[in-house]
Amino acid sequence: MPETHELVLTISHPNGLHLRPAALFVRTAAHFHSAITVRNLSRIESHSVDAKSMFGLMQLGVAEGHQIELHSIGVDATAALLALQQLVASDFEEQP
Amino acid sequence: MIGMLIVSHSRKIAEGVQELAEQMGQQQVLIRAAGGMSDGTLGTSAEVIHAAATQLGSTPIDGLLVLLDLGSAVLSTEMALEGFAKPFVISDAPLVEGAIMAVIEAAIGGDLERVAAAAERTKTLRKLLG
Repeated sequence: MPETHELVLTISHPNGLHLRPAALFVRTAAHFHSAITVRNLSRIESHSVDAKSMFGLMQLGVAEGHQIELHSIGVDATAALLALQQLVASDFEEQP
Repeated sequence: MIGMLIVSHSRKIAEGVQELAEQMGQQQVLIRAAGGMSDGTLGTSAEVIHAAATQLGSTPIDGLLVLLDLGSAVLSTEMALEGFAKPFVISDAPLVEGAIMAVIEAAIGGDLERVAAAAERTKTLRKLLG
């Protein structure tokens, strides 16, 4: 049974969602079957991108302090956003 | 998993891009550098590229994405990969940006088409956002 889930997170990493943090974000998102999109609420012109696309995340220009809105739909939608929430909360510590 | 080959006129550039991409891919993606001539001078060498490609070809990769810098790198790579046993794509993408996007796609299990597309899209990547 597909579920949908939404979440707003604040990025506190000094590099924002760039390179290493973005790579970890994509890799975490890719573990899940659900479709996950991200939007940067701190940029007016920002559109939604695929959370499993590094290129998409780069286009969001997420800097330190920016808020991102996540939306997921699928069988593991809630678990997916929980994992991303934990990644952001850990300030992108290396995952084992 | 897709492997990657980094071709540059400079050994240091090729090895530097390899280092960066390996870190971004958390060492999960096989990457080889083929930069400079066999004596370490600047230039591209079909021989150097062939040796690196052969190494990758003997691993269990499903395909190979080749990223390169400019000019003769294309010709040398085409010569070096003639008869390469696995599917490969020579990318038109910018070297550094392409390598980073490609390695992430490869690390999450993208096939050759997806990995090549991830690199290719960097042609329109904006670095400076208002």
